[in-house]
Amino acid sequence: MPFWCVAVDLAIETIDLTKQYGSLTAVNKLNLRVECGSIHGFLGPNGAGKSTTIKILVGLLKATQGSAKVLGQEVHVDQADARLSIGYMPELPRFPNHLKGAELLDVYGRMYGMNPQERQTQIPRLIDLVGLKGRENDLIGKYSKGMQQRIGIAQALLNNPQLVILDEPSIGLDPVGMVEVRELVKAISKEGMTVFVSSHLLYEVEQICSHVTIINRGQALVSDTLETVSQMISGPTVMQVEVVNLSGATVAAVKALSPVKEATKSGNMLNVSLSTREDVRAEVSQAITKSGGIIVGMTQKGHSLEDVFIQLINKRQEGSAQ
Amino acid sequence: MNKEHPSWLGRFWAVVRYEMLWNIRKKMFLGALLFAFVFATLNLALPGYFGLSENPYFVITFSAGNLTFILFAIVTGMHSISGEYEKGTVVPLLTKPVSRTMVFLGKLFAIFLVILVTYTVLFTYTIIGSIIVYGPQNSLYLAPLSLIGDVISTFIWVSVVLAAGAISKNSLIAILTAFGLFIALVLGGGIIGQLSDNPQALNYIPGTGATGTLNIIGGENITIGNISINTLSAVATGTDSIGNNLIKAVLYPNSEVGFYHQNIFNLTAPARLLYTEPIGLIALRSIGVAVLYTAVFLFVAWFAFKRWQILE
Ligand SMILES: Nc1ncnc2c1ncn2[C@@H]1O[C@H](COP(=O)(O)OP(=O)(O)OP(=O)(O)O)[C@@H](O)[C@H]1O
Ligand SMILES: [Mg+2]
Repeated sequence: MPFWCVAVDLAIETIDLTKQYGSLTAVNKLNLRVECGSIHGFLGPNGAGKSTTIKILVGLLKATQGSAKVLGQEVHVDQADARLSIGYMPELPRFPNHLKGAELLDVYGRMYGMNPQERQTQIPRLIDLVGLKGRENDLIGKYSKGMQQRIGIAQALLNNPQLVILDEPSIGLDPVGMVEVRELVKAISKEGMTVFVSSHLLYEVEQICSHVTIINRGQALVSDTLETVSQMISGPTVMQVEVVNLSGATVAAVKALSPVKEATKSGNMLNVSLSTREDVRAEVSQAITKSGGIIVGMTQKGHSLEDVFIQLINKRQEGSAQ
Repeated sequence: MNKEHPSWLGRFWAVVRYEMLWNIRKKMFLGALLFAFVFATLNLALPGYFGLSENPYFVITFSAGNLTFILFAIVTGMHSISGEYEKGTVVPLLTKPVSRTMVFLGKLFAIFLVILVTYTVLFTYTIIGSIIVYGPQNSLYLAPLSLIGDVISTFIWVSVVLAAGAISKNSLIAILTAFGLFIALVLGGGIIGQLSDNPQALNYIPGTGATGTLNIIGGENITIGNISINTLSAVATGTDSIGNNLIKAVLYPNSEVGFYHQNIFNLTAPARLLYTEPIGLIALRSIGVAVLYTAVFLFVAWFAFKRWQILE
């Protein structure tokens, strides 16, 4: 456990945090507890209130009601010193177009009070880490969306923060980039940083997080360790494929795929149970086509966040009915 | 990593750097620079073209001009607050360990530096050019007063641009507000100055101010058509002429400026003296007025910026 956790064991704690935009309640009495040293996934569909919560935590927005503590300190708008030990990557970050990547990190580094030696070692390291080596002297205005995303991650790690808050870091990245970001998050957590990462992709959170909070319409549905949450979300994900020419070879080919636990045939329906929540429709359809099958229909259940919400909400109602 | 607490000054300076890099890389800035040099060049060459051979007072009666003031104010100030919001760059900036007051002051200081350096280059160019065109210059050591005066004059408009930008979060509105106000004051001031028996009112609004004549002998007459203006004795009291009036106050500390009413529909009638004022008073008052307006608008800008909620 990192040394500062002795002083505060919660990196983030909110109490009945509420934010209203006019009559719309974007965050509704949210009680969030992020343990020090954890990788905490903040999961919810579009418009759930993830970014709003995060903006309150980093002091960009004022809460309508309730309170929030970050690294043991009460959060207020415009509290410069509190941000010395926080790294934040905004959702779809935008940086001054006229600055070069390395220049941006340099000038931000100065704002953190980093001395020249610290900047000289840290900046090339981060540029390398986020895969922008060779492009650091290009203007940010000429960066692709994914590259802006990468420089956004780099600037969030600049000050070796105790707490890193990443708002949908993998949005806009290609599949390789998404995997890289996941590896990166795991790596920085090993360095002792607490990571709070929002996402709307269940499988992404499952792969990297130790804790998960699931939020919908501004309210936390569940907040616990990944293990506990996974158990609550019952059963494996299943896929049903309607195939013309469904042969034994096709079943075998699908079964041989690594994310597939079981594949069974019933009539022209192929029932596939998966060991992952990742979207593997492309992989499965390729295997079927290659082995001579013709796909006429395909559904994947238990995959989407919606399915999980429905399960969780149903569970709650069952719980309260008893 | 165990860190020392970083100094306020270090972080402030980082904001200044951030803003300076932004400012000097704007294409608009290069455009304004070009304009200022064309203006200065015309200023150097045109009087000569109208038949003036020598003018030892050229430098100390030179000013970058009110159009330069508003242009540089707009170009340096228009994006610095509202543009951060429009581009979304304010989000990563305000989540760094810099307070909004620090960001505001840092940006202001960067604008000041950019304008100061630009004007210094412009004035150096004018001094060298005027020596080439008009021969040796008198009282060159006073030229910095003119420079300082022009910076102060510009800052009124910088503060207007910043205030309008911080309130509206919109650069276009900031530009239009500042430019609209500028035009309104130039037109309004001109009309009041010509028609009113009470041009003193113009001393208290930014712009040209009232126009009068300094009771000294000297200077150089520029005659265009049948109107003749003496470059040294013509005095405008407003915030646009702070530098020139400071120089005159140093050169002729005890001189008085007379203000006249001329019936513009009957130019042959003699001008009627309205009142007189010491040049020193005029110079100091215009500085006071400029500082007051600047302070008020900057306060408004800072206050609005401080209260921003970053929704986007
Ligand atoms: N500036 C705003 N004014 C009014 N309503 C807003 C504003 N910003 C967000 N909202 C609303 O607040 C709710 C929560 O938005 P928020 O951006 O926090 O969601 P999110 O979970 O981050 O979603 P996404 O996955 O799309 O990023 C939404 O219903 C949104 O429409
Ligand atoms: Mg969001």
